[in-house]
Amino acid sequence: MKALLVCEVREGKLLESSYELLGFAAAMEADPVMVMVGTEDSVPDFKGTVYLGDVASMGEYNPGEHKQLVLDAVEKENPDYVVFSHSSYGWDLAPRVASALGVAQISEVVELVDGKFVLDACNAKVRRLVSPKTDRVVLTVQAGAFSDDGSFEGSPQVEKISPAGDGHPMEFLGYEEVDTGGVDLTKAEVIVSAGRGIGKEENVEMIRKLAKAMGGELGASRPVVDAGWVDHGLQVGTTGQTVSPKLYMACGISGAIQHLAGMKKSDFIVAINTDADAPIKEIADVLVVSDVTKLVPALLEELGG
Amino acid sequence: MEATREIYWNVGHGVVPIMYVLAVLAVAFLAWGFYRRIRVYRRGRPVDRLANLGGRVSRLLVNSLGQVKVMKVRLPGITHASFFWGFLVLFIGTLLVMVQADLMDPFFDTIFLKGDFYRGFSLVLDIAGLVAIIALVGLLVRRFVVRPDGLDTTKDDYIMHGFLLTILITGFVIEGARMAVTELDAAPELARYSPVGLVFAHALYGLGKSSLQSLHKVLWWVHLVLAVGFIASIPLTKFRHMFTTSANYLFSDLGEKGVMSTMDLEDEEAEQFGAAELEHLTWKDVFDGDACTVCKRCQDRCPAYRTEKPLSPMRVVLQLEEAAFRGSEATLIEDVGSDVLWSCTTCRACEEICPAEIEHLDKILEMRRNLVLMEGEFPGEEVTMAVNNVEVNGNPFGLAFATRGDWAEETDMVLMSEDSEVDVLYFPGCYASFDSRNQAVARSFARICSAAGLKVGILGGEEKCCGEPLRKLGNEYLYQAVAAENIEKFQKYGVTKIVTTCPHCFNTLGRDYRDLGLEVEVEHYTLFLDRLLRDGSLELEAQPFDFTYHDSCYIGRYRDIMDAPRQVLQATGGRITEMDASRYESFCCGGGGGLVLAEEKTGRRINVERVGMAQETGTSTLVSNCPFCLSMFDDGVKAAEADLQARDLAEIVEERLKT
Amino acid sequence: MKILVCVKQVPDMASSVTINAEGVWYVDEGLAFRLNEYDEYAVEEAVQLKEQLGGEPDLTILSIGPGRVKEAMRRAMAMGADRGVHIVDDEYYKKDSHQIASMIADFAKDKDFDLVFTGMQSQDRGSGQVGPAIAAQLDYACVTTLVGFEYEDGKITATRELEGGLHAKVKLAAPAVVTCQLGMNTPRYPTLPNIMKVKKKELLEFSPDDFASGDALVVTESMYVPEKKGAGLVLEGDAGEVAGKLLDVLKEKTSIVK
Repeated sequence: MKALLVCEVREGKLLESSYELLGFAAAMEADPVMVMVGTEDSVPDFKGTVYLGDVASMGEYNPGEHKQLVLDAVEKENPDYVVFSHSSYGWDLAPRVASALGVAQISEVVELVDGKFVLDACNAKVRRLVSPKTDRVVLTVQAGAFSDDGSFEGSPQVEKISPAGDGHPMEFLGYEEVDTGGVDLTKAEVIVSAGRGIGKEENVEMIRKLAKAMGGELGASRPVVDAGWVDHGLQVGTTGQTVSPKLYMACGISGAIQHLAGMKKSDFIVAINTDADAPIKEIADVLVVSDVTKLVPALLEELGG
Repeated sequence: MEATREIYWNVGHGVVPIMYVLAVLAVAFLAWGFYRRIRVYRRGRPVDRLANLGGRVSRLLVNSLGQVKVMKVRLPGITHASFFWGFLVLFIGTLLVMVQADLMDPFFDTIFLKGDFYRGFSLVLDIAGLVAIIALVGLLVRRFVVRPDGLDTTKDDYIMHGFLLTILITGFVIEGARMAVTELDAAPELARYSPVGLVFAHALYGLGKSSLQSLHKVLWWVHLVLAVGFIASIPLTKFRHMFTTSANYLFSDLGEKGVMSTMDLEDEEAEQFGAAELEHLTWKDVFDGDACTVCKRCQDRCPAYRTEKPLSPMRVVLQLEEAAFRGSEATLIEDVGSDVLWSCTTCRACEEICPAEIEHLDKILEMRRNLVLMEGEFPGEEVTMAVNNVEVNGNPFGLAFATRGDWAEETDMVLMSEDSEVDVLYFPGCYASFDSRNQAVARSFARICSAAGLKVGILGGEEKCCGEPLRKLGNEYLYQAVAAENIEKFQKYGVTKIVTTCPHCFNTLGRDYRDLGLEVEVEHYTLFLDRLLRDGSLELEAQPFDFTYHDSCYIGRYRDIMDAPRQVLQATGGRITEMDASRYESFCCGGGGGLVLAEEKTGRRINVERVGMAQETGTSTLVSNCPFCLSMFDDGVKAAEADLQARDLAEIVEERLKT
Repeated sequence: MKILVCVKQVPDMASSVTINAEGVWYVDEGLAFRLNEYDEYAVEEAVQLKEQLGGEPDLTILSIGPGRVKEAMRRAMAMGADRGVHIVDDEYYKKDSHQIASMIADFAKDKDFDLVFTGMQSQDRGSGQVGPAIAAQLDYACVTTLVGFEYEDGKITATRELEGGLHAKVKLAAPAVVTCQLGMNTPRYPTLPNIMKVKKKELLEFSPDDFASGDALVVTESMYVPEKKGAGLVLEGDAGEVAGKLLDVLKEKTSIVK
């Protein structure tokens, strides 16, 4: 079996998720080949073939041409699997490729069981076991679900391709950094996050205090950021920052799949929630069934802060 | 000499026609002035406030003549009442003089102002005049010297005080001048029956007869012109309150306190919901502005105003009047301000104290209806989310509706879907069902019911929010939707009796739902417990403790239920120290009017303010009977770091159940 | 101008999910339903565009599912649509994303929609495939994961939300399919007159057989509630006590608390 892995490059740098795809290929027991849009400097540490589209001529994000690049690689390699990361790049590009190939697409794979694919559904409350009906399958893989064991380390053999467009040009106007607030949560050892369960904007303050008292940083789930209670720069999750601190405390966070994906690699996870069945309990080392607004002040008192 | 006096002495009967012409002109001006104002009142929608006219007239007479509500605030109230009665007596006296001088004497040759009657008449009028002057000076000192906070003084007030004081004083000077000439020497025993006039007479005596007569004549005309001027100024100044404020007793809403009108949402032709313009309010809403005497008693008691929110109930009423009479470029809501409208907790302190019987709440709530139903606006995104949560899951927390009955798992409460043959249905409401602090209260109540040997049912997952906070925020549509679902369940199970631990559910199920077709007996648990204690179904072992009691708005002011809870607490062994602001003067916890769902963004926190009042009693326990109050006080105690525990009445009773 | 907004009614995520007898989807009973949150933003953006263009554009709300989805459709329509199209399908869950997209594309193909708005994924299945798949079948341009949308004379300037607090701005031409991310705008609360007007708007019903869906490319073998990992410790009780216990655990298990 062969797997064509679609790597992602941003602003000249290859994203780490590309290596996770190798882990996925290994788990599938498939021989990997890679395809990407980037520069010669950004090719991965991979002892196999890498089909390279030139980002200078194709553009950072130009789905028509990126899709065509993948299709060209598919034609050359005839893979059984075409694999993307389930990222803003992957979930956008994969369906275009699947439609063009007329094959099944299975999104956000979290696990493999007997050659079938396990996906999360309903906010990770339930799982689905699915299988494709076509011989070739397009797949997207959840960030962090698989990891590379380094067995494919080496120098790649690069083959350049200049694909055509698909009649729907897209002009890339540029990136915008959204108010980062200057905090790099990926470096923090302790993160205490506020979720919708804190109730009111004024309660963010007590979470902030707790973070400080524990020697860490304040984080937040998406709803709290969307409500304007904290800067976007503090958002943890697939569309925020992906973190793996020594200690992650989720206060009033139910555990939407996008948030979990952003922090489930943390060493020790504590969840504080009034809902004993909150999805976050699946990954929590400790679930405290309590009202955040009562427990946090009690913690602060115990910590003397 | 006969005890009487010559009417028109010194001025002569020639003044009579002039006097009448002026009087008629003044009264005509008065009538026209009011006619113009009536046309503006009628810009508002019609509403029937004259049914049961007999009862209304007696309310008017009792309250305006008796100054009952005016005197609820002691010192200024009694002062105003004294002035009013004094002036009223003088007015009646003047009428009597007119009747004799212009009717009885010339046409029937009858004089009744003579003898003992005249002596009494003189004495009473003199005292009335004195009382009026003293009271007026008192009011003047209060307004211009003491200057209470929030009391606005405008040019109207200067005019009014000026007119009244000079009319009264010239009255006595005229009397004094007359007595100096006609009574001091000739009838000194009679003069004693006009003691104030006597003082003036002595003071003026030295002027000599001809000067006195000139003085008398001049002042008589001055007094007449002032009186005529006074009458003419009535529609133009706050003097109009003599008519408009009194009339407001005639036009009162004789229905139950604090009930909102149920909108007809089936009407496909309706294009306007709530009030955006004056024309959408009733004529009574416009008239209320004219009835307002700017006494600020409502503002003084408004929990929002007291904590520096932008709302003053008095201002809202006056703004409506201004918009009506002076016109406005902006819409009503732009004039008043939506942040003002959203600050109201519907506590009814304003309406309860208002001596003019103004209905502040209806105006605010109708404008809220416009904001929500026509603009889709809420006080904040957290409120929109709570409202959406009610729509999806039947509770503002957004918790799964199917778990609503889980709190009752270890109690004897029965699910109606399993067994609907119960003694009474318990309607816990959203907070008692889902909020952990209030779930404890629900469980306490459940244990009390078991102890009383009652079989109580709950709807559990079939129960939805009663809809009250939504209704008070203005979302009549969603309120009627959830109400309909609740009513359907009550009817499905043949429910005839409901008991609830929440005053908001209590009012809504018991009153508001009647318009939607539900006729069942709904009891608040304080009355329920009081009854059980009195008929012996419930026995307690009193454990003494000190406490202060908070009369929640929706039980106290709305339903006059203040004694029963106190009796229950006494039976538990409680020793009460009342807060200054208790019973009808109780100060809201801040959770009413749907605001329990909103963040408090301006000013100081209402709950902290109230907790402060509780702390002043020196007791360690603040007892309440409402889930909103309990949540608010728990928060307030924490925020104020108070040495106080917020508890619910049910918890206290349950602790003392005889085992 | 013609706009199509595709919406889905999904269970509210607060409710617990029970698997149906077939073992492949959830049971409706005990669930509260709502308009898919991502679709709410899509509807709002479409309505805002309609307002921007003076109310001229014709806006259709489309949904596939059993009778109950009409409630969600009406909510969407009350935000400001002109009509609804309901493909009544009690077995919608057996169709995979490709089939759903095919049906929608089949409906849309002869209607000349300038823009198709939809949420970037559904809260229940969450495949994120339907939007781009519709575009591929209609041969429309497509841009996904939008947090910003501007339109002028057939040109779209879109702001996409990427990872790590990064946004990317792109420009493309209509006709296009646009998928919306959370937080793109503030969905309006429907006014009562608009809610009442929905009663008078047409809500067309179709059978799934009216549209070509093709064969399923992905089959659901089973849907199941994952077994509890069990490794987690649960603490409950009085806040003061629990706080103490938690700190003890942290002292023991991590190097964070001393």
